[in-house]
Amino acid sequence: MTRSTFPFRSLLGISAVLVLSISAVLAHASSPNEYDVKAAYLYNFGLFVQWPAAPEPDAAFTICVFGVDPFGKVLDRTLAGQSIGSQSTIPRRISNPQDALGCRILFVSSSEENNVKQFLSSLGKTAVLTVSDMPQFLDRGGMIQFMVVNNRVRFEVNLAAARRAGLTLSSQLVKLAVTVETSLPPEK
Amino acid sequence: MLVSAAALVLASGAFTAYTWLTFRAAMVEQLSVQARIIAFNSASALLFNDPVSAQKTLGALGASPSIVDAAIYDNGGGVFARYWRGRKSLIKAFPQISKSQTEAHWYTHGELSLARRIEPQGKPLGVVLIRCELGELTTRLEGYAAITAAVLAACLGAAVLISAGVHRSVSVPVIRLAETARLVSRDKNYSLRAAATGSRDELDFLIQSFNGMLEEIQQRDASLQKAHDELERRVEERTGLLHAANKELEAFSYSVSHDLRAPLRHISGFSKILAEENRDQLNADGRHYLARIEEGARNMGRLVDDLLSMGRISRQEVVRRPADLNLLWQEAWERLQPEFEGRKIEWRIGALPAAECDPGLIKLVFTNLLSNAVKYTRRRECAVIEAGQITVDGEDVIFVRDNGAGFDQKYAHKLFGVFQRLHREEDFEGAGVGLATVQRIIHKHGGRIWAEGKVECGAAFFFTLVPRKPSRPKPANSVSS
Amino acid sequence: MIHAAVEILLAEDNPSDVELTLRTLKRSNLLNTVHVARDGEEALDFLFCRGPHAGRDFAAPKVVLLDLKLPKVDGIEVLEAIRADERTRLLPVVILTSSREQADVTSSYKLGVNSYIQKPVDFEQFQETIRQLGLYWLVVNQPPSEG
Ligand SMILES: Nc1ncnc2c1ncn2[C@@H]1O[C@H](COP(=O)(O)OP(=O)(O)O)[C@@H](O)[C@H]1O
Ligand SMILES: [Mg+2]
Repeated sequence: MTRSTFPFRSLLGISAVLVLSISAVLAHASSPNEYDVKAAYLYNFGLFVQWPAAPEPDAAFTICVFGVDPFGKVLDRTLAGQSIGSQSTIPRRISNPQDALGCRILFVSSSEENNVKQFLSSLGKTAVLTVSDMPQFLDRGGMIQFMVVNNRVRFEVNLAAARRAGLTLSSQLVKLAVTVETSLPPEK
Repeated sequence: MLVSAAALVLASGAFTAYTWLTFRAAMVEQLSVQARIIAFNSASALLFNDPVSAQKTLGALGASPSIVDAAIYDNGGGVFARYWRGRKSLIKAFPQISKSQTEAHWYTHGELSLARRIEPQGKPLGVVLIRCELGELTTRLEGYAAITAAVLAACLGAAVLISAGVHRSVSVPVIRLAETARLVSRDKNYSLRAAATGSRDELDFLIQSFNGMLEEIQQRDASLQKAHDELERRVEERTGLLHAANKELEAFSYSVSHDLRAPLRHISGFSKILAEENRDQLNADGRHYLARIEEGARNMGRLVDDLLSMGRISRQEVVRRPADLNLLWQEAWERLQPEFEGRKIEWRIGALPAAECDPGLIKLVFTNLLSNAVKYTRRRECAVIEAGQITVDGEDVIFVRDNGAGFDQKYAHKLFGVFQRLHREEDFEGAGVGLATVQRIIHKHGGRIWAEGKVECGAAFFFTLVPRKPSRPKPANSVSS
Repeated sequence: MIHAAVEILLAEDNPSDVELTLRTLKRSNLLNTVHVARDGEEALDFLFCRGPHAGRDFAAPKVVLLDLKLPKVDGIEVLEAIRADERTRLLPVVILTSSREQADVTSSYKLGVNSYIQKPVDFEQFQETIRQLGLYWLVVNQPPSEG
């Protein structure tokens, strides 16, 4: 357990101002805007995943929102000036499933609940971390699902889904999950 | 005894202090490692605002019984998670760590506190604080102190007992041995011996060695004395032989002076008479040969005289007196005046110093050098003869220079040998004894003499009258053997 | 010859020196008063009328020219004997020798020699020395009055 295995090791260039603002968000997680917290978490997830190498070194780390965007400007504020590894983070809204291929983290809006299963299986083994706050997201093949427990935003993870996509979630992240799913949902 | 006790006390004090410092350092290190582990494991909890997870992480501290309490603070200074053992303690305010540091520790009332920033890759998320009691350290230290004290007491007691015994069996013989050594070195009496203890131990061995050494010194003294006596006897013998040889030499030169001069006088006398009384019977050739006979006799007479005087000078002791060299030069000059009457000579005589020397002998030196200068400038329309004093490398050097026939510098070293001449008899008559005599006189004074010359350009002779002060480089042109 | 008043006693063993000295004295018109002794013993016999000269009446010469290196009795011993005898105590003695040795010179003067002459190798100088010597001791110098 030394620093050298710390998953943040490649994390550089987060400006102090933003970190402070994130901290402020964290300190008041139960404060009115739930999506402020979720936006920060979306970014934080990126810090605890072992990502496959980027196709181009200076390519952006894209965090996408699929479907009706519940974040609004919050996500753009949260990601502005941040980076994961050497890649700076940018938000992107997509409405076309094919566009998800360019994403690293994909937030699937609840508006897409009806065809999410189909959408997720269409991603196949693409290395995209899928996150959503819709119920049964993990059962439908998602990787991280937000939930609110005691007024706090928490999450569940499905390690098997992540592993299938070639992603490894850090134990530091996993230990915070409310439940940890280790098997894939049965194919139907 | 006192010294060894002091040393023991000091040593145990130092040992205890060292132990204390080492334990403290180890304690801090141990706490630091724990703080690092917690900082690492609580980073994600802070990021995802999960105090329960952070608390679980802190809970791992339960494995260390000495840790009293611990806390994780978020960046705002609020307590994010905490841990305590036994009674719930008051966690102090957000610990301040100076900007340049990531970790700090301090001591309060038997407790050690350590705070560490939680800042993965330099991004501050919060601070972890751990407190532990030093009870363990104190207990261990007390244990050590007790052991040390016990050992110290035991050592001192043993030392007292041993020293009493040692005094009888060691100190007394050693003191006696030292007394013997003192007497030996005071009186130089190497026949003394230290009394043996008869105990066949190291001390007895020491005493025997000491006695053996005395024995050796005594023997060496004796053989040294013997060698010395032998040497003395031999020196006496040699001195006797030398004296005899000297006597013989004196007798020899005495008889030379008598026996060689007489026949020369006869040759000279009778050839003169022959030339006077039988002049008419002799033709020009006969008269010429007669003249050569006379000349030969005269030359040989001079040779004999020179040789004899050189021998006499060699045997003569140098008697140093303060003398004015100007005066000696003047006297030599006057004595030689007949030799250069009618000659045109320009004299350039500088001031000569006063010197401690044998005036008679130095006058002879001047006489010889001057007579040479006069002789070898004979062919010069206007001869120039100089004398004076110069300083070379801090040494007073006296010189006599002329602008005469000179000589080849290649042969400069030969000038001072007996009968060594650089000019032909028909050019310049001479026996080749003068400079040899001069050199002997200078060497007897401890000085050096050397010459510089150039054919048809003149010659210069330099000499000193006192031994050179050590550590001066020898001038390249000096001839002094 | 025995009756003639001897003015110079020449003690010299070397015949060449005798000849040269006599010739010089003769040139200076001093020859007829010279008696030559060929060794120290003969010189003393002559002086003190002993041995072959037993019949001679004692008469001291005006000067003794004495070589130092003489057979039998050497010059210094002759000088000692002369100085030891009451009759010849004040007799002028000139040492005439080849030796220039300081030791000889000193001991001669200690024994009261009147002159110490080193015979020069050069004949002309020699002649001059002898001439002046004869003149001085025979003509110029008044013998000290006896008694
Ligand atoms: N002033 C001089 N100039 C030239 N040559 C000299 C001078 N003095 C001495 N010499 C040389 O040194 C030799 C030895 O000198 P010295 O011993 O006095 O003997 P001598 O003068 O009798 O020949 C001389 O024969 C001569 O060749
Ligand atoms: Mg000379």
